[in-house]
Amino acid sequence: MRQRTLGCLTPAGLAGMVVTLIVVAALGALRGGVLFSPGELSQLSKPGVTLGGVQSHADLAGQCSACHASPLSRDTMDVRCTDCHTNIGQQLTDASTLHGALYASGNGGLTCRACHTEHNGPDAALTVMSPQTFPHEVVGFSLQAHAQMPTGRAFTCADCHGEDITAFDKAVCETCHRDLDTAFVQGHTLEFGHDCLACHDGVETYGKQFDHNAVAFPLEGKHAQSACASCHKGARRIDDFRSLGVECADCHLKDDAHNGEFGANCAVCHTPANWEDATFDHNLTNFPLEGKHAEAECESCHQNGQFQGLETACEACHLKDDAHDGKFGTACGTCHTPADWDQATFDHSLTNFPLEGKHAHLECQSCHQEGTFQGLETACEACHLKDDAHNGEFGAECGACHTPADWDQATFDHSQSGFPLDGAHARVDCKQCHASGYQGTSSQCVSCHADPPFHAGAFGDDCASCHDTRAWSPARFTLSHPQPAVGEGGNGIRHGNTTCRTCHPSTVRQYTCLACHSDNQGGEGGGDD
Amino acid sequence: MRRRSNRELWFSFFAIVGITILYLFVVVTLGSVPAASEFFGHSLGIIGFLLMVMTETLYSLRKRARRRTWGKMSTWLEFHIFTGLVGPYMVLLHTSWKFNGLAGIVMLMTAIIVASGFIGRYIYTAIPRTADGAEMEAAQVQQAVAAVEAELQQWLEAQPEATRAFGQRITQELAPVRADDAWAAVIGRAFADLGYRLQWWAETRKANAATKAKLRELDALLKRQRTLRRQVQSLAMARRMLALWHAVHIPIGMALFTAAIIHISAAIYYATLLK
Repeated sequence: MRQRTLGCLTPAGLAGMVVTLIVVAALGALRGGVLFSPGELSQLSKPGVTLGGVQSHADLAGQCSACHASPLSRDTMDVRCTDCHTNIGQQLTDASTLHGALYASGNGGLTCRACHTEHNGPDAALTVMSPQTFPHEVVGFSLQAHAQMPTGRAFTCADCHGEDITAFDKAVCETCHRDLDTAFVQGHTLEFGHDCLACHDGVETYGKQFDHNAVAFPLEGKHAQSACASCHKGARRIDDFRSLGVECADCHLKDDAHNGEFGANCAVCHTPANWEDATFDHNLTNFPLEGKHAEAECESCHQNGQFQGLETACEACHLKDDAHDGKFGTACGTCHTPADWDQATFDHSLTNFPLEGKHAHLECQSCHQEGTFQGLETACEACHLKDDAHNGEFGAECGACHTPADWDQATFDHSQSGFPLDGAHARVDCKQCHASGYQGTSSQCVSCHADPPFHAGAFGDDCASCHDTRAWSPARFTLSHPQPAVGEGGNGIRHGNTTCRTCHPSTVRQYTCLACHSDNQGGEGGGDD
Repeated sequence: MRRRSNRELWFSFFAIVGITILYLFVVVTLGSVPAASEFFGHSLGIIGFLLMVMTETLYSLRKRARRRTWGKMSTWLEFHIFTGLVGPYMVLLHTSWKFNGLAGIVMLMTAIIVASGFIGRYIYTAIPRTADGAEMEAAQVQQAVAAVEAELQQWLEAQPEATRAFGQRITQELAPVRADDAWAAVIGRAFADLGYRLQWWAETRKANAATKAKLRELDALLKRQRTLRRQVQSLAMARRMLALWHAVHIPIGMALFTAAIIHISAAIYYATLLK
């Protein structure tokens, strides 16, 4: 037959439960909380010292609430601890003390019982710490790098602190590490002193793991190859390292070959790659380097180490190169460029004598002789006097006929003279009329046109009465003819289709009719006028 | 009758070995015994106590289940034994080997209840059961005895040589048991069986291989016959002893769990909730 009632609900089971409750209640009533104690309390005490009315924790056996604050109350066990251990309570408010530092580091979460244990027996230590669990970093030095001795053995507190964990001899660091690497420690302490804890915090923040690139001054180029002490010379504390400036001049002032003329920002020209290989961007100045300036050695301009305050005017450097003896003034850039001093170009059009025609192709010296560039006359004869083929007859106004295009291709506007040229006159060479000069040449026809023998002086000097400028011949006889023309009333030269020479074969003073008319026709056969 | 394999004991053994290795690893890592109040020690206590609660409840509930009879009784019993061994072992490790106050009393009661469990198990196995763990009635046992005796008789007739060689042993085995030895049949059966095994080994160790193979069949039949006859003889006594065991075991168990809950409550009040 199956048993239907659970064992715990049987009278025997319930009796077991009730008896247990009664026994526990009785023990609790008789001995307090001892029944719930996981172990005996410490009997450690200091002779004559009484805290909270007891000499040791063991005196509080069974009085759980003396230390264990009710979860329902606002009290904590730490409060209960410091109610008796008032000196520790005072330390908790001072971060410079061990307890204060520990308490502060835990942001209130670190409790007394994290280090101080109880219920481990009357003689058990009340402070239980191991380097592996103790938050040593809160006292300024982490044990992260001190987990094991070089032999592989775990560190103990006594390895560094000796008998008293609250004391520390600073020489311990150096003593141990000198055994590990004598040469390094010797050099290191020589450079930075013997107070290791002044810089090292146990997690290699400023040791092997230190990353200089993570701070305000990343190491590049030769900086990365330099010994720490070359910059951090004489540093003795971490603040000494931190306080070193990051400006170039903070270290390189002694290397300043410019005597401070360039200021403290060396990086404008120098790089960490190499101090000597400096590059200066002259374009940042008011004198950008162009052409041959950019190729010149710095010293060719910046003599005697002078880099600041130099004049930027050309003559400040090029005065000695002035082939013009200062005649052009100081504005060298008017003709010269930084590209090449010798390849000077002058814009003559900026002067009052722009160069045109053949003037533009002449060597400067052909006009500017003996280095004279200023004050030259611009009148033609200043240069062309020697070329005056007119012996000054036309005066100084050469431009009236000549142009810069070609001296020899002169043109004269005869219409501006008293004898405009037209007809055949315009086609004759000047010399034909001006054989003996140009000035005072007679405008009379006869000065050029001699009376021909045919006229035999019969017509006088008024050539134009018969001749015009289109051509000397044929001429048109417009005077009254002494012999009237037959059939024409005797007045005029129209005598059939004859010419003068038909009747006057040698001169006009002699005539003949017989050239046309035979003698049987009557009349005279010829004669002199 | 069901064939017992004791696999729950092997599972328990391996679990205990595994937990021990883990415990030793933690001890080496911490450099000290893990405190009951720290993570590992606390975890051991919590898991161990839960296993003990399962030991106390699951098998009992299954035994009393009428409708939802999930799983065989024998399997639940195996699990009951497994949790009943592993749970207390974890609680033992949880103590950090300090047995002060109520915690020490709880651990002592745990040890008592485990020992009691072994005793109960020993008495329990004296009662004949079917393959699914249900108790057999006396008539069923008698039938089983008759069947095995008939089978044994057939075997003896078929093996006259063995009968002649081991006649004395067979005669002893077939002799009627003493009716007034029921208490000894329950409590001392392990020792009696051990005596039989030693005698059987001494008498058969010089037989050749072919004879040994036949003797193993004979031994199995004799063992079944012996066990069944003993159970017939001690059935009533075994049931009385099992009832007595229950009467003792259950109050101790209840006392244990009551004390354990007080201990847990105190630990929560004084340690877990401690500010």
